[in-house]
Amino acid sequence: MAKIAIDPVTRIEGHLRVEAQVDGGQVTDAWSSATMWRGIETILQGRDPRDAWYFTQRI
Amino acid sequence: MTGKRGELTEVLARRGVPRRDFLKFCAAMTAVLALPRRYVPRVAAALETAPRPPLLWLEYQDCAGNTESLLRASKPTVAELVLDILSLDYHETVMAPAGHQAEKSLMDTVQAYAGKYLVVVEGSIPTKDGGIYCTIGGRTALDWVQEIGGGAAAIIAAGTCAAYGGIPAAAPNPTGAVGVGDLVKGVPIINLPGCPMNVQNLTAVVVHYLTFGALPATDQVGRPLFAYGSRIHDDCERRAHYDAGQFVEEWGDEGHRKGWCLYKMGCKGPETFHNCPIVRWNDGTNWPIGSGHGCVGCSEPYFWDTMSPFYKRLPNLPGFGVEATADKVGLGIVAVVGGAFAVHGVASAIRAKRHPIERHVAEVEEE
Repeated sequence: MAKIAIDPVTRIEGHLRVEAQVDGGQVTDAWSSATMWRGIETILQGRDPRDAWYFTQRI
Repeated sequence: MTGKRGELTEVLARRGVPRRDFLKFCAAMTAVLALPRRYVPRVAAALETAPRPPLLWLEYQDCAGNTESLLRASKPTVAELVLDILSLDYHETVMAPAGHQAEKSLMDTVQAYAGKYLVVVEGSIPTKDGGIYCTIGGRTALDWVQEIGGGAAAIIAAGTCAAYGGIPAAAPNPTGAVGVGDLVKGVPIINLPGCPMNVQNLTAVVVHYLTFGALPATDQVGRPLFAYGSRIHDDCERRAHYDAGQFVEEWGDEGHRKGWCLYKMGCKGPETFHNCPIVRWNDGTNWPIGSGHGCVGCSEPYFWDTMSPFYKRLPNLPGFGVEATADKVGLGIVAVVGGAFAVHGVASAIRAKRHPIERHVAEVEEE
């Protein structure tokens, strides 16, 4: 029984880590995590709502 | 991605790019760099013979917008130059290997070309809580950028996030995000802000580096003067409408349909330094103001806080403008000639565009 991790996952936009539990050639469990956080929701609070599209476009 | 470091001429021939196109590209680059025409052969010779360093493209707190900008470089020679000729050894969004193999590509280059490789950083670096808000391969961006960046020949901060922290650093900056210049010391760094940066300017920096062996001259916030030396407002195609007091008052109104000045709609062109009006975007197709939206000032440090709300008009600008009558405009011009707008040679730019006689007079006077 082995656990493998693929980090970074490439050819995607953003940062991703995937871990998989491999048991006899079969993946028995898997986890994915986004490994980057900026807090856009927090940053948006209290701003002019007309600006929101410009901020969220950058996600 | 560790490609062949073949001669440029060979690569271009293989891709069927005519030599004439290559020379046109060199001419375009000298124009962007504001070099005299006699530099074209020198640029061409340098691109053909200069040893080409590997390039590592590092993404941290980013949206891949600068990568998009890079991939939009559709002039064949530009894409060749950056992707094939420069030997892009690491770029998470476009590389084939993943996981450990990706890291291996990165570390192989870092070790084999210590002190010789170029680094492009895209995205800011979080510093709060030990930097846990961005990790790659289990290590923090904070850790990576100092190791990889510290061993580079030069670093290009692509986009406002990598240059100054950008959107993640907008108030209240939840992750303690900073630009690469705040973390890596002792390595030449050039900032190419913009949201995203314009790939033409990235290419021009690379061309400059290969031709002269150094990064181009910069302003006080680390931006190359060739691209950030003049204000949007001074090169704007709608400037005549500003001077004439013709403003868009409401989206979709007559002035908007006629392409009048967007200053009253919140345009930040008067406080923003960038060559967008000249270079434009998507191969010179258009740019924000050309499409009818004000400039948001994306190439200025901390613009997310200092330039927002984006639709709120800037406080009254010096000189003429807004409700100016014809008389006031005339007075404004007198003031300009008198040097009220002396910043960055604005006065001469305005005179050159609009008042050839006054300019002539002023020149004669200066002599």
